[in-house]
Amino acid sequence: MRQILLFGILTSTYLMCIAKRMPALVRSFRYQSFFIFLITLAAGFSEKRIDYYFVALLILVLKVFIIPALLNLTARRINVDENLGLFVNAQLSLVAALVLSYCSWVFSRGLGFGQYHKLLAMTVAFAVIFIGAFLMISRMKALTQVVGLLVMENGVFILASSVSGGMPFFVEIAIFLDVFVSVIIMGLFVFRINKLFTHIDVTKLSRLKG
Amino acid sequence: MLNFNLLFDPLSLFFLFVIFIISLPSAIYSLGYFSPKANPCLSGRQAPAAEKDKYSRGKLTLLWFLFVAFVASMALVVTAANLLIFLAAWEIMSLISYFLVVFETGQEKSIQAGLIYIVMTHIGTAFLIAAFLLMYQHCHSFDILVIKNACQAMPAQLKNIIFILLLVGFGTKAGIVPLHIWLPYAHPQAPSHISSLMSGVMIKTAIYGLIRFVIFTLGVNSSWWGMLILVLAVISCLVGVIYALMEHDIKRLLAYHSVENIGIILLGVGLSMFFIARNMPYLAIFSLIAGLYHLVNHAIFKGLLFLCAGSVYKATGTRDMEKLGGLIKKMPQTAFYFLIGSMGISALPPLNGFVSEWLTLQAFFLGASSVIGGAKLFLGICAGMLALTGGLAAACFVKAFGITFLAEPRSRRAEEAREVSFSMKAGMLFLSFLTVIFGLAAGWIVALLAKVASASTGIEIGSMIFSLNIFTLSPQTAKGVYLSTPLLALVLIVLGMAGFGVYMLFGRRKPVIYKTWDCGYYKLSSRNEYTATAFSKPFRIAFSFFLMPYRKTEKIRGSFYHVKSFVYETHTTPVFKKYIYAPLVALVFKSARFMRRIQPGSIHLYLAYIFAALLLLIIFMQKF
Repeated sequence: MRQILLFGILTSTYLMCIAKRMPALVRSFRYQSFFIFLITLAAGFSEKRIDYYFVALLILVLKVFIIPALLNLTARRINVDENLGLFVNAQLSLVAALVLSYCSWVFSRGLGFGQYHKLLAMTVAFAVIFIGAFLMISRMKALTQVVGLLVMENGVFILASSVSGGMPFFVEIAIFLDVFVSVIIMGLFVFRINKLFTHIDVTKLSRLKG
Repeated sequence: MLNFNLLFDPLSLFFLFVIFIISLPSAIYSLGYFSPKANPCLSGRQAPAAEKDKYSRGKLTLLWFLFVAFVASMALVVTAANLLIFLAAWEIMSLISYFLVVFETGQEKSIQAGLIYIVMTHIGTAFLIAAFLLMYQHCHSFDILVIKNACQAMPAQLKNIIFILLLVGFGTKAGIVPLHIWLPYAHPQAPSHISSLMSGVMIKTAIYGLIRFVIFTLGVNSSWWGMLILVLAVISCLVGVIYALMEHDIKRLLAYHSVENIGIILLGVGLSMFFIARNMPYLAIFSLIAGLYHLVNHAIFKGLLFLCAGSVYKATGTRDMEKLGGLIKKMPQTAFYFLIGSMGISALPPLNGFVSEWLTLQAFFLGASSVIGGAKLFLGICAGMLALTGGLAAACFVKAFGITFLAEPRSRRAEEAREVSFSMKAGMLFLSFLTVIFGLAAGWIVALLAKVASASTGIEIGSMIFSLNIFTLSPQTAKGVYLSTPLLALVLIVLGMAGFGVYMLFGRRKPVIYKTWDCGYYKLSSRNEYTATAFSKPFRIAFSFFLMPYRKTEKIRGSFYHVKSFVYETHTTPVFKKYIYAPLVALVFKSARFMRRIQPGSIHLYLAYIFAALLLLIIFMQKF
């Protein structure tokens, strides 16, 4: 069961790589978060812990509904071209994502965790972090950077929950709050950037250098 | 590992003495230098010049704070018993002196001078840190005394490396040619009493470092160390004095003389190292005495001269000698003190500079007569160069005094100059007094310095004799070489009085005041006067192989037959700047520009850097 959910996460991450437009990207992010919600719920069932339910609920509310909605709202409000502006085209991105997944497999194996399911979870977590970073690098629009950061955060969450059995409850809550606030702030910034420069194309923001 | 012990052996005490004896008159002097009312002549139309010297209350407080911190840090440098404390104090000293150099922030020149200074001083410190870390690696301690003991078992190769590092590190601060580049820019730019401290004392801490760490701690074990220092010292002497001759900014002229005098001091120190390595204890002690004697002398008369130059600047608002002149009538006391300082630095008997240069020369002669082969020739050449330096220095101060204080004023500012305030005169008087005392009391001072030299070289001086009695120095008792400055002074006074008496008795005539004969040209003005540039022309020609003077002429013609205006400029090529530093700086900038390509301003690329670094780190972790 867990394995299927993990593959779900991985698949939704690959979907992000081939997304060319903003709504598709946000939708994939929503899927990914939903799978993480399911995983947390499952962990709560199997380990009989109340706080897991609570965390799962938070994931559902924040990452599946509110944050994607906010992203969509921002995208609509700034009213620019929906294209993400790919440095690396979809096919090559997918190849890169596969390579990164393989790398993360090698790395996690090297860390030497015996149990198979932990190893798998870690591989997926690393892959999600790497691909999140890759998304930040290879997409032009500023909103993609926000999404990439959120994807990386998801990866870190999977890593924490798979390796150490989840972080302490209050840390979890604090991180959610952080993520939520950062999305709002970055949304604001993107909005401001757009107002000031009439675009959110990060490649053109290159005047600040030595 | 880290203790805060201080070291109070004779060497440290000697340097403490030098620091405080110069700081005191500087502090007194600065009271008048910054008092707003001290300069009535500059009110009215000269007000802008006076405004430049006036500081707000807060800035004055800051200056005092920096002054005290500067003196304290120098004192800590010469007493620290631990390499780390030494380095910290050294760095504090460098930074505070940097702040003092850029203190007059309004001037573009200050900022540039400060930049050159801070870059050079940090390069020097980097070498020092390298040397100290090597010492630590071998001795496992930062304590100087522990290191001294452990250094006896240090391999010679390592010692050589540490010596070179120390030489470059301290040489940068001392202003040895070719590392002197910052000195003539930085020293004149600070307020004058600070210049006197920097030139008089701060660069001496580098000499302290050399004596403390090379002679005292490391121990000299090969004679090429001394020879290398001698060669550098001779070059410093000559380059310093030749550049000083070409200079007509009075404070920068003095700064170049600091380069020269550091060379003379290093002649003594290097000679001492040479003799230590050759196991000639008497000569080693004697040379070190000569070096230390010149060190304290230079501190005194250079401090004095900078204070005088500051007075001139205060009174006229310019440091350019070509715009001065005639000041001896307006500021007779300052002129007198400047004359004393000039006589000291030009090594005229019976003042202090004469004694120490005489001692240094004697050390060379004694050394040359007791070694054989090539070394004899080498020491002889060094002595010759020292003599040449002395001659050129005297010429330079004839120029400095003559152009600044004699003849007619060359500008309105010089005409309107007035004598400076009492506290400034007090500072200068004190140092003039010391200049004379250190000449006359040579016997006592040499006896004291012998103890310092003995403590820093570890050589017993029980049976060594340096003077016949307290009035007469005699390093070569058997060969009949004596020097008695009190006697010389007496002879000079008696001769002077005799001459004066003869004049009063027979030669007294009523003075007739008339204009200078002007070959029938009836309108001589100050523009017809001899200038500093003209005075130094023979030297410019004599040393043209080094100075490489060039001239620029520009004629603007109305027609072929009618030249409307004619511009003539003559410059000397700054050899070190042009052939060593400019290519170096260009290289640094070129590589910096190359490195800047990794920073294109693209956020994606920066993210990619982070990502790549992360991946590489993980791979690294997997592999090892």
